[in-house]
Amino acid sequence: MSITRISRSFKDISLSFDPHPVTKDLPILKNESAIRRSVRNLVETIPTERFFNSLLGSDVRSSLFEFVDYGTASVIEDQILSTLSNFEPRINNVRVEVDPQPDINTFNVNIIFDIVGQEFPTQEFSFILEATR
Amino acid sequence: MPFTKFTNLDFDQIKTSIKDYLRANSNFTDFDFEGSNFSVLIDTLAYNTYITAFNSNMIVNESFLDSATLRENVVSLARNIGYVPRSRTAARASISFQVPTTTTSQTLTLQAGLVCVGASDNTSYTFSIPENVTTTVSGGFATFGSTEFPIEVYQGTFLTKQFVVDGSLDQRFILENSFIDSSTIVSYVKGINDSGLGRQYEQIDNILNVNSTSETYLIQEVQDEKYELLFGDGIFGRKLENGTIITVTYIITDGKEGNGASRFSFQGTFKDSNNNISIPSGSITVNTVSSANNGGEIESISSVKYFAPRLYSAQYRAVTSRDYEAIIQQIYPNTESVSVVGGEELDPPQFGKVLVSIKPKNGDFVSDFDKQNILLKLKNYSLSGIKQEIIDLKVLYVEIDSSIYYNSAQITNVDNLKTTITTSLSDYASSVDLNKFGGRFKYSKILQVIDKVDTAITSNITKIKIRRNLKALLNQFAQYELCFGNKFHINSNGYNIKSSGFFLSSTTDPVYLTDVPNKDLNGNLDGSGKGVVSIVKKQADGSYRVIVKSAGTVDYTKGEIILTTINITSTIKSDNIIEIQAFPESNDVVGLKDLYLNFDLSNSKINMLRDVIASGEDISGVTFARDYYTSSYSNGDLERK
Repeated sequence: MSITRISRSFKDISLSFDPHPVTKDLPILKNESAIRRSVRNLVETIPTERFFNSLLGSDVRSSLFEFVDYGTASVIEDQILSTLSNFEPRINNVRVEVDPQPDINTFNVNIIFDIVGQEFPTQEFSFILEATR
Repeated sequence: MPFTKFTNLDFDQIKTSIKDYLRANSNFTDFDFEGSNFSVLIDTLAYNTYITAFNSNMIVNESFLDSATLRENVVSLARNIGYVPRSRTAARASISFQVPTTTTSQTLTLQAGLVCVGASDNTSYTFSIPENVTTTVSGGFATFGSTEFPIEVYQGTFLTKQFVVDGSLDQRFILENSFIDSSTIVSYVKGINDSGLGRQYEQIDNILNVNSTSETYLIQEVQDEKYELLFGDGIFGRKLENGTIITVTYIITDGKEGNGASRFSFQGTFKDSNNNISIPSGSITVNTVSSANNGGEIESISSVKYFAPRLYSAQYRAVTSRDYEAIIQQIYPNTESVSVVGGEELDPPQFGKVLVSIKPKNGDFVSDFDKQNILLKLKNYSLSGIKQEIIDLKVLYVEIDSSIYYNSAQITNVDNLKTTITTSLSDYASSVDLNKFGGRFKYSKILQVIDKVDTAITSNITKIKIRRNLKALLNQFAQYELCFGNKFHINSNGYNIKSSGFFLSSTTDPVYLTDVPNKDLNGNLDGSGKGVVSIVKKQADGSYRVIVKSAGTVDYTKGEIILTTINITSTIKSDNIIEIQAFPESNDVVGLKDLYLNFDLSNSKINMLRDVIASGEDISGVTFARDYYTSSYSNGDLERK
């Protein structure tokens, strides 16, 4: 059987597993949302967490217990950048901005990137890193 | 894509298979990227598959004796073919002692349990007896054991365990200790009408001649090297009734650690004929008849795997030499290696005879007492009309003379390097290739062992010698025959055989053995492969003088030296030993028939030489050829050094 690719777009499964209200299908993530999810997964994965792939992930979690200042923010930036350059080949021109919020003990992370080989605008998304325990 | 590779044990390959499948059969595309959600799902699936495959693999492996790795499973599989692995064996010492006593009782009983404490290598070990020993009191003394009939004490701690039979089907009688010497297990069964501990049951290892009233039990090893007692079911062996009390006594031991203990001090307890404790009226001195020996570890997994099928094929009958090997290992656990030669293979043949050589684990010789015991036990297994004889071990020593070149630029201390080489060689010397009957010394392997010790070693030139020790009968006219079992290298000038010095009644100076190969009229080797052994003396000026021209013959092809009648008065080496060496024709040396091959590192030479070419000190090789040159052949010296 010859292999036929239906689309060159990116298509991933959503781990929320909420069925579609009408079709009752499993939800899927496409293109930029799939990649955004992937970037988040990579940042949130602790190295050694994945079976037989101990290097995958970033070590930002250990930095969350440091002082919330620009020094730590710079470390987190580096960790996220190197993780993305190692494990996410679908994006380039990555910029990471980490903004420390010492009053509420959190870091605001803003990631800006282009998607390789697709006609999408530059993507940007943000999330908050906070030590929860 | 056919998805049929179920046996894959590599996580990455399993993952690749799943991805390949998805690539052909799914609309999803992101599984190739490690950050994707799909990748997480694939990892989980692959991990699950991996664990299942690993478990299946383990289950199948553990189901067969050849491939099982866990002791519990190996033992269980061996049990299916009627094999009980040997337990740890306690070192046994023979002692005797006299007890001064004021008791009016006619007998005195030494209680089972702790008897004495013996010391070995600055460590004390307790020694016990598994059963009471009773003796008569005469003239205020009770004598336990004598030099001829000593008391045997077992290294270890004496323990007692009681079970009450509750009649349930799932009741098991497991002794909750590892390190038990199973031969010391003694069981008493007390029925409702019995007094004391009850009746002693006999431990058996098969159900031959067992009927419904036999008071017997079997033992089997269960998990964690513990032992379970199996009593009869009313068909094979008497069945236990409800409320029966089983008392089991046994000794837990340190195994081979206890070997060598001597210098015993008494610690035992006595009871008189009225079962009252009797205290000796004076001190007790323990006389050691023989120090502790024959202690051994529990049978290893590899040994169980090796011997279980062999004992099964022997079927409790000693017919072939393999049968002897398996059975002797069972009846004499201290065996390291056994060689059995049928009399028909001997020269001249001795039909109806079987010659057995045993190498014990500690030491070179089996004691006369053990020999008698082994022969007695062998009788139960052997064919009638066949006579077994246990002959002393004949050791064929292999020695090396190795010149090892090293790059001095790569090391700081040559002594350290030499020590490392010696350690590696000593590991090889204790390997399974050697140290056994039918063993083979492999020349290429030894060269590799030396070369691989350190990258600083650039090469080695290693010469091989074989040696046997001739035990001289002093001040007696005697003939000697020494078999090496390996072809000798013939140098037409002689000097093939060398010996350490010894003295004859006719000489005051030490004399040595040497050889002259038989030659034809033209002075060439005559091709007979034989020669004459001469005895020579060293003169003050360093030259040698022949004392006895024809003192025997040498057969270079068979590797055999025969000395005609000589009277040796003493030897330079201790223990009346004359070391006789030869150069083997092949550098691979074989332990033929009853020869036990031993790599003798203590008599081997290791010369460290600088490789000046490799270190860059001598580019042209001139210095090397002049100062660091090593011949690959033997020296022309008559004397063994």
